[in-house]
Amino acid sequence: MEEQYDLSGFICPISKMKATEFIKSLGEGEKATIIVGDTESLKTVAQELKSRGIQTAFEQAEDNKFILTFTK
Amino acid sequence: MKSEGSDHQLRVYSDITGLVACPENPTPLVRLNRINPNKGFEIYLKLERYNPFGSVKDRIVKEMMKSLDIKGRTVVEPSSGNTGIALACIANAMGIPVEIAVPDKIPEEKKIMLKFLGATLMEADDALCPAFPSEGARGLVNALVLSPATKDGYVSPNQYENQLNVQAHYQGTGPEIWQQTQGEIGYFFAAFGTCGTITGVGKYLKEQNPKIKIIGVEPSTADHKLPGMKRITGLAEEYIPKILDYSVIDDTVEVTDEDAYTTAIKLARKDGIPVGPTTGAILSAALSYAGSNKGIAVVISPDDAFKYTSFYQEVLNTGFVEAGEGI
Repeated sequence: MEEQYDLSGFICPISKMKATEFIKSLGEGEKATIIVGDTESLKTVAQELKSRGIQTAFEQAEDNKFILTFTK
Repeated sequence: MKSEGSDHQLRVYSDITGLVACPENPTPLVRLNRINPNKGFEIYLKLERYNPFGSVKDRIVKEMMKSLDIKGRTVVEPSSGNTGIALACIANAMGIPVEIAVPDKIPEEKKIMLKFLGATLMEADDALCPAFPSEGARGLVNALVLSPATKDGYVSPNQYENQLNVQAHYQGTGPEIWQQTQGEIGYFFAAFGTCGTITGVGKYLKEQNPKIKIIGVEPSTADHKLPGMKRITGLAEEYIPKILDYSVIDDTVEVTDEDAYTTAIKLARKDGIPVGPTTGAILSAALSYAGSNKGIAVVISPDDAFKYTSFYQEVLNTGFVEAGEGI
């Protein structure tokens, strides 16, 4: 089952900190989605995923939210 | 016995915050006799450790908390330790929960003190937040008070932008120094940090006598081991504390970690005053003035040595000081 974590209520760096903990908690090969609510959070969370060598796709949803989808 | 207020003569207080220094109950001013051999340039230390929670920050926290509209929220603040300790003590006395975001590089002693006081501690890597480069703790608190999910639960005194930080020194520390030196002060030395001390004291002293020189002290590099100090030179405008008033500052002196720690240890061994490394940095700058200037200088000593024993241990372990170099 795909894990989803909605961080749209948090701005950076809380969004990044929570995303990092979430990513760490996932198992290898596990698919997940992180929702963030601002561009700064999108940038820092995407950077965090990239630094771990995780390829990420993102799309802009309604209400200025961004959805990052990835497989660990 | 009086049940309310403060009686400084009898030293009787209705609560602990009554001990925070003020012109009627100033922190001591002590002349340095052995570390400074220059008779024409007298240096006095303003020992802020004699505040009830142990540092200069007791003054500003008392002032800020008096006016903070808490409304049942948790008080949160970034701190390199001293503001956090004062905040935890005063919040405890008021029955208010407190969370402190600290840089991960502060001494363990300060973290232990904050835990001892019951504050929730959040350690933040300096590089945590791109919006606050090299100040992750500030970024974290900013996010707590602004995030939609958390903002209703937190309130921050925000010492970097709160004019009460300046006012505490303008109405307290400045007048104390003026009275204690009987208006004869010629030089005032303080560190750049939140910049409340240098702005508040500087403004007050300049109003009494515009000829008084106000000297700001900063670390020689942005990456340093002087908790509470900030390198202002080269900092982008948006990261300079908003309460800093450059117009009161006559000169800026850079100090290395090595000079700061060596001077602090030298002060303890020559004059018997155990101070924190920031005092060492500020005093080092004052001593550099001593050879070529005349008059009375006051150096702010923000806190004592006891919260930095692990940092001092590292310096002492190098053998540099033991060997007598720099002493």
